[in-house]
Amino acid sequence: MTLSGGLSRPGERDRPIIKFMEIDWTLCLVLALIAGAGALMLFSIAGASWEPWADKHLLRFGIYFVMMIILAMVDLRVWFTMAYPIYGIALLLLVAVELVGDVSLGAQRWLQLGPVRFQPSEIMKIGVVLALARYYHGLSADSARLSWKLLIPAGLIGVPTLLVAHQPDLGTAVLIALPGLAVMVLAGLSLRLIIAGIVAGLAALPPFIFFVLHDYQRNRILTFMDPEKDPSGNGYHIMQSKIALGSGGLLGKGFGLGSQSQLNFLPEKQTDFIFATLAEEFGFVGCVSVLFLYGVAIFMALRIASISHSHFGRLAAAGVTATFALYVLINGAMVMGMAPVVGVPMPMLSYGGTVMLTVMVGFGLVQAVRVHRYTEVTSGKGSLM
Amino acid sequence: MGGLAGAGLLALGGRLAQLQLIEAARYQKLSAGNQFNYRLVPPPRGLILDRNGVALASNRPNFRLMVTKDADMDPEATLDDLSKLVPIDPARRSRLLKDIARAPKKAPVAVMEDMTWEEFSRVNIRAPELPGVTADMGEVRVYPFGGAFAHVIGYVSKVSDRDLEKAKDDPDQELLHHPGFRIGKQGVEKALDRELRGRPGATKAEVDAQGRVVRLDPEGDIPATPGKEVRLTLDADIQNRALEVMGEESGAIVVMDVRNGDLLAMVSAPSFDANRFVKGLSGPEYKALAEYERKPLLDKALSGNFPPGSTFKPTVGLAALTAGIDPEVRVACGGSWYYGGRTWRCWQKNGHGSQNLHEAIKNSCDIYFYQTALKIGPDAIASAARAMGFGETFDIGIPGQRKGLVPDREWKKRANKKNPANQIWFPGETPSYGIGQGALSVNALQLAVMTARLANGKKALNPRLIKSVGGKEEPSGAAVPDLPFTAEHLNYVRGGMAAVANDVRGTAYRQSQLGLGDVQMAGKTGTAQVRSYDKVASRKSDSVAWKLKDHNLFVAFAPYDDPRYAVAVIVEHGGLGGATAGAPRAREVMRVALLKDPEIRARIEHPAPLPEEPVEVDGAVEGAAPEDPVIDVPPAAPTEQAAPLVPAPTPGVPR
Repeated sequence: MTLSGGLSRPGERDRPIIKFMEIDWTLCLVLALIAGAGALMLFSIAGASWEPWADKHLLRFGIYFVMMIILAMVDLRVWFTMAYPIYGIALLLLVAVELVGDVSLGAQRWLQLGPVRFQPSEIMKIGVVLALARYYHGLSADSARLSWKLLIPAGLIGVPTLLVAHQPDLGTAVLIALPGLAVMVLAGLSLRLIIAGIVAGLAALPPFIFFVLHDYQRNRILTFMDPEKDPSGNGYHIMQSKIALGSGGLLGKGFGLGSQSQLNFLPEKQTDFIFATLAEEFGFVGCVSVLFLYGVAIFMALRIASISHSHFGRLAAAGVTATFALYVLINGAMVMGMAPVVGVPMPMLSYGGTVMLTVMVGFGLVQAVRVHRYTEVTSGKGSLM
Repeated sequence: MGGLAGAGLLALGGRLAQLQLIEAARYQKLSAGNQFNYRLVPPPRGLILDRNGVALASNRPNFRLMVTKDADMDPEATLDDLSKLVPIDPARRSRLLKDIARAPKKAPVAVMEDMTWEEFSRVNIRAPELPGVTADMGEVRVYPFGGAFAHVIGYVSKVSDRDLEKAKDDPDQELLHHPGFRIGKQGVEKALDRELRGRPGATKAEVDAQGRVVRLDPEGDIPATPGKEVRLTLDADIQNRALEVMGEESGAIVVMDVRNGDLLAMVSAPSFDANRFVKGLSGPEYKALAEYERKPLLDKALSGNFPPGSTFKPTVGLAALTAGIDPEVRVACGGSWYYGGRTWRCWQKNGHGSQNLHEAIKNSCDIYFYQTALKIGPDAIASAARAMGFGETFDIGIPGQRKGLVPDREWKKRANKKNPANQIWFPGETPSYGIGQGALSVNALQLAVMTARLANGKKALNPRLIKSVGGKEEPSGAAVPDLPFTAEHLNYVRGGMAAVANDVRGTAYRQSQLGLGDVQMAGKTGTAQVRSYDKVASRKSDSVAWKLKDHNLFVAFAPYDDPRYAVAVIVEHGGLGGATAGAPRAREVMRVALLKDPEIRARIEHPAPLPEEPVEVDGAVEGAAPEDPVIDVPPAAPTEQAAPLVPAPTPGVPR
């Protein structure tokens, strides 16, 4: 920020050292703090051991952090150009997963590509945001409000969402659809259409729950409505998570002393329910501190979106932020018994490489938007070179 | 959008505050409930001891194999795995599968009890790989004497659904559902179940979500309170000998201390091994016990009602004396007597000749008692019978007594409400009452009480079985009112009984010699008719089927000059004449009781230098002159060796 005032000379901002300085290091620190809190919890639930989670968690964060820095310096025009190709590749991979993917835990999500095993749906989380931002960049405000042209973004969101939902991975489908819709709204969607959409969505919910969802998905939702009904079956996760949270009290049971997580009453304690572990051991104070860090990260990312000079940059940064915020809110609500159990982890806190990679790539894009906030982005191909 | 995200985060914070600040206490309790698990520790069951502290029921270690039902447990697979380690036959397997299916979640089910050490260690090593399988050491009830105390003490056994139904308001529900717990089903075990049970303890353990114990917390343990110790008045040696002498016969023996009413033995034969019931009896095993014609499961000492036969004659004698009959008024016995349109026969076909009361008791003369009964009437007999303890049940701490019947005019009225013609007492019913037949029925305990009261000579003793519970002494059987008879009358009747056993012409002389020097027995024989003899030529029963033979009874007390112990023996279908089957058994049991008594022992080992005047027998009744003073009886050699149980067949067969 301090350097930006004197950087008016053309080309000066393309110098790598300047780009490096332009990165929002405060945001980086916040992300590191969250990842550090995650490592601390992973260390605790492994019985005060770096094995098997905490060490890998930190190592991954280190690698992805470097990657985020590199991505931050990638010219926004490159991002712009690559938007559709990335989306296209992600879509192809999703189709491929549908045809040849590995079945793991009852869902077809994984794709083996040489030595790398990954979930194409994660790429799509970034891909859909990029593609929508790219599309809206060249669209007039009127068209964005209400026109037949909205069928294209609707399709950009709808196709991958349905593919992912069919895997079935409801959590990821939501994390593709909602940020996409957020981009549409931010691009200036007609209020009437928003209201109509919400009404239609609510009306479609019951038939969707009862006719489209798999049994286990439906049970999760029904159990969420009344967790005590079946405390040893589906309600077990929610109940145990609430016990972990509630028993933490104001200050928590102390580091390494959370009986719910240490004695395995808490399911998925190192991944989806790590926030409950944190809540149990560090109490209300610890939880609010971590939520505050998330809030700061979201606020800073949105601020970056708002200062971008390009429509593409604004929408892309806001879309990524929406994805990140949704991760936090959905996981938080689930852990606190306010939402059905869907496989959405707490970003940076939960153990697991894929989500951390997605989020860090996303923040790489956000940082790139900040670093290139004055960059003019045009639809033409030649302008990049 | 920033607003939306902020609102969302605030909502999460609010929810956190609700859970962690407002409802924290509730969740902390739930969390502790998850983390800590109290495992019930069944209390050791109280011991049951005899009067000398010999254990009659105790506990021994038991290696058990248990499976705990769990949501993700496959009972079939678990049993398959276990059958590789311990033998589980198909019948057992199917029963276990049923048990497991019925058991509530997380409740352990016992797969095997009483494993050998090898089996126990084999399972214990593998247990960690077998989900839900535990091998532990519990305690199991053991009855060291097997059958001898089976009817008195009863047994413990698995808690049945019916027991649970009955024990609805029992505070120990958790204990009742514990797989190792056994509930008292019969006798003392049932009557004093709550006292013997004790209070369960618990071990506190930290467990993980799979129920595995992570850490034990001995400081949080609650120790189990053992059950109270119950001491009985029984004497193991006397009881064991009593069952032994019954051999294959069916019947009962009751021994009582005539000074305080303590029951020293109470045996019903044949018996069964109570230990088998603790383990759980197989169907065929139970069937065999239940269907055996000598009814081992029935407690014949308390619930078998028999006509007392001639053992009732001393009571009739007392009734006669009380009614003012002069014992020296003689009745001529010619073997039969014609009254009321029929001939009443004496067991002695040729007759006893002229009989006074003393002789009539000694010879068990039926004619004398037919006529005497007729003279005093049924109500006088009934009131004497009640005073001696017939027709009532005693509070001995265990259930199962059947009080029998002491008939009188009042009873006839009550019993024949629908048939007014039958409501009056017919004079023809009285003579058989006089010899202990007819509607009269008694049990072995009542016979022993009668004998003890007679021998005590003063108190209307009550029998006592439970000596103490948890160290607290139960009231003595001697804290009772006196008998409604004069000492003079009681002494007279006792004299008659002494003659039965010690007069060479007494009905049980040969079978009643204790062989303990001047310590001698007095007694009375009896036969309870099982069938009518009208159509049968001979009453001798050697050729008759067991079921049709007469019951053989004998009551006795000793030493007759200073009574201490009374015994009553009933041998079901033992044949005619109390002397043949009853008396020799009474003698054997009495010998054990006497030889265990240090004072009696001293008396046997150091006999008084001069024979005392036979005060008890012929000196007490003024003017009485029994022809056969008992001191004339040559004492048998003082030997401790048991005489042959059943003597050679006696000619004459007195009853």
